[in-house]
Amino acid sequence: MDTNRRGFLGAIGRVTIGAAASIAGTAEAAEAAAPGIATGGPRSAVKTKDGHTVHWGMVVDLRKCIGCQACTVACIMENDVPEDAFRTHVSVYEVLKDRRDPAMVMLPRLCNHCDNPPCVPVCPVEATFKAENGEVLVDASRCVGCAYCVQACPYDARFINHETQTADKCTFCYHRTQEGLLPACVETCVGGARNFGDLNDPQSEVARLLRENEVSVLRPEMHTNPNVYYIGLDEALSGRVAGEAAYHPPLTTETHHEEGL
Amino acid sequence: MQIHELVGAVHEAAWLPWAVQYFFLIAISTTALLMSLPAFLLGHEGGLPRARLALMVAVTTGITAPIALLADLHQPFRFWEFYAYTHHTSWMAWGAWIVPLYVGATIAFAWALHRPALHAMGQENWRFAWLFRWLSLGGGANGFARPLGLIAGLAALGILTYTGMEVMIVRARPLWNTPLLPLQFAATGFVGALGVMLVLERVLARQEKLELRLNLELAAALGVVGLLGIVWFGLALSGLSPVHARALASVAGFPVWHHIAIWGGLAIAIPFLLALLVPVGTGWLTGLIAIHAAWMFRWTVFMGGQAVPKIGSGLYDALVPTGIAGLMGVIGTFGLWLFLIIAYTTFMPWSEAGPPGGPRRAAPTTPPATPPATPSRAI
Amino acid sequence: MSTRRNILKGAVATGALATFGVGYAGTVKKIAKGKWSGEVPRNAHVTGNSLPAEYNVDPLTGDVTPNPDQAMSYTMCIGCTTMCGVRVRVDKKANRVLRVTGNPYSPMSTDPFIPYESSVAESFAAMAQGGKGNGLTNRSTACGRGNAVLQQVDNPRRVLRPLKRVGPRGSGKWQTISFEQLVEEVVEGGDLFGEGRVAGLREIRDLETPAVPGAPEFGPRANRLVWMNCVDDGRDNFALRWLKQSYGSNNFTRHGSYCGGAYRSGSGAMFGDFKKMPHAKPDFLNAEFIIFAGTAPGNAGNPFKRVGTLIAKARSDEKLSYVVVDPILNNAQNGPSGERSKWLPIKPATDGAMAMAMMRWMFENDRIDHAYLAQPSAAAAKAAGEANWSNATHLVIVEPDHPRYGHCLRGSDIGLESAGEAHSDADPYMVASDAGPVPAAATPAPLFFDGIAETAQGPVAVKTALTLLREEAMRQTIADYAAVCGIPEETLIGLAKEFTSHGRKAAVNSHGGMMGGSGFYNAYALVMLNTLIGNLNWKGGTMIAGGWFPDNKGPAYDLAKFPGMVKAKGLPFGRNVPYEKTTEFKTKKAAGKPFPADGPWYPNAPGLATEWMSSLVNGYPYRAEALIFRNTNPIYGVPGVAHLVDKIKDPKVVPLIISIDPFINESSQIADYIVPDSVMYETWGFAKPWGGVWTKATTARWPVIEPKMEKNAESERVGMETFLIATAKKMGLPGFGDRAIPDADGKLHPLNRAEDFYIRGAANVAMLGTPVSDATDEDIALSNVARIADDLKAVLKPGEWRKAATIYAKGGRYENIERAYSGDEATHQFSQPMLVWNEGLGSFRHATTGRHLPGCPAWRAAEFADGTRVSDHYPEADWPVKITSFKSPLQNSYSVGAKALLRIAAINPVNVGLELAAKHGIKNGDRVRLTTPGGTLESVAVVRDGVAPDTVAIEHGFGHRGFGARAITIDGQTWPADPRLASGVLLNDLGMIDPTRGKAGVWVDPVSGTAVRQGLPARIERIG
Ligand SMILES: Nc1nc2c(c(=O)[nH]1)N[C@H]1C(S)=C(S)[C@@H](COP(=O)(O)OP(=O)(O)OC[C@H]3O[C@@H](n4cnc5c(=O)[nH]c(N)nc54)[C@H](O)[C@@H]3O)O[C@H]1N2
Ligand SMILES: Nc1nc2c(c(=O)[nH]1)N[C@H]1C(S)=C(S)[C@@H](COP(=O)(O)OP(=O)(O)OC[C@H]3O[C@@H](n4cnc5c(=O)[nH]c(N)nc54)[C@H](O)[C@@H]3O)O[C@H]1N2
Ligand code: SF4
Ligand code: SF4
Ligand code: SF4
Ligand code: SF4
Ligand code: SF4
Ligand SMILES: [Mo]
Repeated sequence: MDTNRRGFLGAIGRVTIGAAASIAGTAEAAEAAAPGIATGGPRSAVKTKDGHTVHWGMVVDLRKCIGCQACTVACIMENDVPEDAFRTHVSVYEVLKDRRDPAMVMLPRLCNHCDNPPCVPVCPVEATFKAENGEVLVDASRCVGCAYCVQACPYDARFINHETQTADKCTFCYHRTQEGLLPACVETCVGGARNFGDLNDPQSEVARLLRENEVSVLRPEMHTNPNVYYIGLDEALSGRVAGEAAYHPPLTTETHHEEGL
Repeated sequence: MQIHELVGAVHEAAWLPWAVQYFFLIAISTTALLMSLPAFLLGHEGGLPRARLALMVAVTTGITAPIALLADLHQPFRFWEFYAYTHHTSWMAWGAWIVPLYVGATIAFAWALHRPALHAMGQENWRFAWLFRWLSLGGGANGFARPLGLIAGLAALGILTYTGMEVMIVRARPLWNTPLLPLQFAATGFVGALGVMLVLERVLARQEKLELRLNLELAAALGVVGLLGIVWFGLALSGLSPVHARALASVAGFPVWHHIAIWGGLAIAIPFLLALLVPVGTGWLTGLIAIHAAWMFRWTVFMGGQAVPKIGSGLYDALVPTGIAGLMGVIGTFGLWLFLIIAYTTFMPWSEAGPPGGPRRAAPTTPPATPPATPSRAI
Repeated sequence: MSTRRNILKGAVATGALATFGVGYAGTVKKIAKGKWSGEVPRNAHVTGNSLPAEYNVDPLTGDVTPNPDQAMSYTMCIGCTTMCGVRVRVDKKANRVLRVTGNPYSPMSTDPFIPYESSVAESFAAMAQGGKGNGLTNRSTACGRGNAVLQQVDNPRRVLRPLKRVGPRGSGKWQTISFEQLVEEVVEGGDLFGEGRVAGLREIRDLETPAVPGAPEFGPRANRLVWMNCVDDGRDNFALRWLKQSYGSNNFTRHGSYCGGAYRSGSGAMFGDFKKMPHAKPDFLNAEFIIFAGTAPGNAGNPFKRVGTLIAKARSDEKLSYVVVDPILNNAQNGPSGERSKWLPIKPATDGAMAMAMMRWMFENDRIDHAYLAQPSAAAAKAAGEANWSNATHLVIVEPDHPRYGHCLRGSDIGLESAGEAHSDADPYMVASDAGPVPAAATPAPLFFDGIAETAQGPVAVKTALTLLREEAMRQTIADYAAVCGIPEETLIGLAKEFTSHGRKAAVNSHGGMMGGSGFYNAYALVMLNTLIGNLNWKGGTMIAGGWFPDNKGPAYDLAKFPGMVKAKGLPFGRNVPYEKTTEFKTKKAAGKPFPADGPWYPNAPGLATEWMSSLVNGYPYRAEALIFRNTNPIYGVPGVAHLVDKIKDPKVVPLIISIDPFINESSQIADYIVPDSVMYETWGFAKPWGGVWTKATTARWPVIEPKMEKNAESERVGMETFLIATAKKMGLPGFGDRAIPDADGKLHPLNRAEDFYIRGAANVAMLGTPVSDATDEDIALSNVARIADDLKAVLKPGEWRKAATIYAKGGRYENIERAYSGDEATHQFSQPMLVWNEGLGSFRHATTGRHLPGCPAWRAAEFADGTRVSDHYPEADWPVKITSFKSPLQNSYSVGAKALLRIAAINPVNVGLELAAKHGIKNGDRVRLTTPGGTLESVAVVRDGVAPDTVAIEHGFGHRGFGARAITIDGQTWPADPRLASGVLLNDLGMIDPTRGKAGVWVDPVSGTAVRQGLPARIERIG
């Protein structure tokens, strides 16, 4: 299993220097966007007892994922994700190495909240930006819905929300972390695969996991510097996956008849 | 290693057929405009019939394109934000400035070229003379057309650059992320523009000489497109250029893409041979195939590109997406363009456009396809 | 010319513009809407429509500030039979469930779970990121289904008013009727459907007239009301009170016989109890090696979520390695865990061969645990420091014609004096010694003996139980067993070697995979491996559930007894008793030919819902006059039942069918009446874990939202309890009304509402042992028990209500986690011996063959009821494929209405192995037809590596006809079928009838009487 430990160390090094100084355009974007998002926008950066600014990150331990999709559904319920999209979901693969011993791999996917997010610089109106705690967010009241960011994200993590007609994506449950809560998908992770916390805090569980395990990120070749790390990720699944796709039935027309019996 | 995805998500295309229409029309517009410039700016009398067609194409597609673009925004009302919050790192943001500049300059340029004729029509004694007096803004001088043409030309280059770059820089889509893409967009733009001009030539002018010339130019443009295609494949297959190799790899395994490749090859080769070997009397055919080739190139790049998952296996269903609504978008933009063409050829003395500052016209040399008197009856 | 041309041009121009107008209308509309072309989200900026947080936990202090608009209540999920304690987040104003996650007090949802003493506020803080930041450790979860099933509450096709069928059964046409009409009609009967007179419940409740004239063993006519139930969802005590103690019918069954009954019976054989069927589970976190054969931890299993959590932790953070022996590779295996988690394909329904092969190797290489097996009694085990003992050393009578053939040799058999009656507990079991059989004592006994015992009646051949087991194991070579199960010989040996290399920190576990034609013996063989290494009651071995705090009988109220209660009696409808007890046997015996019986009997089984289907159709042993389905769906769940449904639908066969259910599932579809019922979070009750929880745990459920069912004339919500109370009162049955529930002092309290029963149950749970502490005002407010506080105060005594409030505030009562182990042993132990030889099994005669069966594990190929081999009827040459079922990791049998799940997997294509597919030219995505002797279905094939050779595996939970998959007409208004709900296929459509049964019945395991869904003989063909 080829993990890019070096890349990850690099990322941590940079992350530790601080989110504020991460990438030029991004910090600027956050600032530029801040006045426009006075209500419900970043109230304040989450800080800790020692006063440092939190930098959220997730470590997904693939050895623990049971593919139960609790995360997927919790995210849908918590964030009212519309019918034809996911902010997160878990791909399930049957993998056959050396023509023997087929094995299952459950791979949770979500926005990586990249420190070098290709989705941000392309936004023509600075509606998407990197917030102080590292989240990559979209100000829906500014978004023109051009979907350029959707194209630019190398992880298919963004989509146009057909209800609001704006770009949508995982927020790292910004509305929950602001209240001291865990993201919905993490809180309900049955296998304990999803771990979330402050990458800047060496005491945190995520920092410990990064220290003690070989980790990798999805599509390292894109140099996006993700804040979502994986334990046990096989390189073959890191990006586009060469193989049979899941069977999806042809769409049937849905019946709408929503009053109660 | 063999991998079989058992559960996977499907991602919808986020750029809709509107985007295809925009990129198609704007490429035709800008390349047509560029083709119109030599005759008008340098005053080659012999080039005028071709230039007039080109100008008409540039103006009509140039107006239609941004209207299609607006529809591709999911929040069209917010288009003003492009100007309020221009994000300089975004090619699209730059595009938002270039598009109106280009369309404005092109319309102004066309107007300037038509101004003498408009003015003349305003002087004649007929029911709608007042309209033409108003359209000519009370004069016939058009010496300023040349700088306008230059501006429009530069803006056209700007458009070709930004549209190409906007798509090309998307690293997440290997099919888009090749340095050849802007050139391919431009070259296929010429193909499309020449195709439209050929068809219009058949409808409006019917000059064998013009048809011949346009067909030969089309062959040249197709040649360039083919060459670019060969270079693209060469770079991809040889592995000399990793981005091209990646682009090819992203679609290579899928039968639908084999069909697309064959289709694309034929869409170039057939009109190329026809235009080269039978350059007269084939304008309809070569023109239509050329239009189709230019359109299909974009459809394939945009919809096909979006059908390639960035993560996960297989292909999304995006290659033929969006049902009736998407289709109506495509047909609707063509409808608008057709309307503009009819309006243009009906109301504009398009056939009288000449180099700016030329000798003032006494009487029409060639009658407009529809005599000025017609509008009086039509209106 | 020019005019025409211009008109044409004008027309074209107009048309072109109009086309544009149509195409562009959407955009224009959007522009006209202004700044928001779509819906304006709740938060216009970055968080869109995300829910407002339920509470705030100060990142620095950890203080909890609730969101006053939302309630966070601890109750129970029943998204599957696991019945986890969950935390339900309610929008108070809208009375709508927003989201569900786990209850951190509950071991079903959390590991490690928090101490029961923690206040509700502390429980909130425990799950947070801020404050102490222990959220990850204490995270408490709901699974994918548990997160989705809240959609069932608002399911538009839910039944909220009583329904009565219009037209023939199953026609899908209904009318709504009032609750009062419902009660009147079902109690009094009459010509209810214009099809003739139907006896009402009042008439059927005849405690005098025998159910079967001339056969008093079947009890009174009241038994002809039969009740089918899903699982005990925490409300069975109420149902049983009505049915057995008030109404007087003895016929109540749950779904066990088409759930995992074969496994449970196999386990019951070893644990010595065929009725309760105890079973143990591996101690996941401390075991070093586990074989899962026929259960899929993390993919399904019970408790699904807890096992998923523990298996994930064990394979990554602890020492566990495990093998999943399964015809199909599913989520139970985990590639990134590498060697820790392996999949071993097996031919369906052949696990007995695998287990017997392992045993053979263990015997041959002496890898069995002598120290454990040699203890013949509890005293010996205690003396030896063992945590349990077995009857391995007990002598068994093997003399073929001996009247006690198959029984263990007892003191009385050789003429020893004993305090009690012969063969009672006081009559000692005998073990071998140099001096002949001696009573089992407090010292080890010889494991093997094969010889003669001198008895009062003369010499009889005896063997030790372990000797008999060894003989069974040695019946075939490992190579022969390998050929049967398709696992290579070396692998079988490797498995046995590995299994016996971890002392007692190894285990075997099973469940649904045993539902094949030899399921009982397969299961018995698998669990016997645990006994051979003596792992029971040991940390890291296998352990039984820790038990619970029961609600029914406690220090405060006696809910199990009441004045005037009747005792239901009579042999049960499912024939799970010895045939020898029947008049039929006696008559036939008198005629000289006691065997075969007219139909199969299953003395070594619990209630058998599967066999009920046959009983219903054939009126054997007697006819049912009324059938109640409560939250159950055998018409969907029983393989092959389709062959019987037409008869069940015939009102002449079963005159009255009532379904108590919130949905019109496949079974309520054929009912005459549907009584609407509460959905999950609207319901009262008390549940206990199924297994796998080592501490005592009671999960309390209570209506955390206002139930949606309509109210009756007395302003009570219609539901099971209301229905039973009303019918009982109408019939004047005992146990309901104003003087129904005695308290500790014998004073009687009323039972007029569900609350009267359950809230007193909560008091019992709270007061057991050391009573729980009082709920504080803060606990009551934060958990929104405030919603029911008035009821608590009204029903309970002043000293009780705050204790009951604690039960509801914390979603139950849970013993603290430290109590799981005492040193290296489980705190809550199973103290009865493991039966290497089960006398009940070894001595009975199979009713339809009159033959004996082995009393210990054995490999036996599948048989039909007449004892002939299934493969003789359906030879492999004609039916080369085996079809097998596995649970969907996402769906269960009724979650299809929670549509969020269909977004993730919309259908269940059938899984076909690579080689089999190649043989038939089937490619991934092709359509295939599957045919068994029982039926045929067509589906899309997914061609995979992870399927055993010649096997097709079908995910369970799709292929519905109920729940709205088919059109429903109510009061003339039609609800069209929703094709999404109907998507996919159901393996049970391929289920088979046993062709050897005179009276029609589905194919079942011959010993346990359980449904067969694994290893159906089949054919496959490509159809496009
Ligand atoms: N996700 C999910 N969880 C559930 C449920 C659900 O519907 N969905 N239902 C709940 C209920 S009611 C129950 S009873 C439990 C059941 O939980 P399990 O018993 O674990 O589940 P099953 O899928 O019935 O069977 C287990 C495995 O046996 C395999 N199997 C089939 N035939 C054979 C065979 O011949 N030999 C062997 N060795 N294996 C075989 C199947 O492929 C399957 O993977 O799960 C509970 N939890
Ligand atoms: N082929 C195949 N067949 C199988 C299985 C398999 O794996 N494969 N699994 C078997 C197993 S393990 C089992 S346990 C059985 C299950 O079979 P059953 O126990 O007969 O049925 P369920 O489908 O669980 O039915 C429970 C019913 O309760 C109702 N219900 C749902 N939610 C609620 C609620 O909140 N409140 C109330 N009051 N009612 C509710 C629904 O109508 C649902 O149909 O099926 C078995 N059948
Ligand atoms: S869709 Fe919205 S967020 Fe994305 S690039 Fe366009 S304006 Fe920016
Ligand atoms: S994963 Fe995609 S959407 Fe998320 S930050 Fe990275 S590039 Fe942007
Ligand atoms: S962090 Fe929140 S938004 Fe992101 S995937 Fe998890 S639940 Fe969804
Ligand atoms: S909730 Fe956790 S274990 Fe379940 S699928 Fe999601 S990441 Fe995997
Ligand atoms: S396992 Fe999931 S669906 Fe089943 S009861 Fe628990 S949370 Fe609900
Ligand atoms: Mo079950």
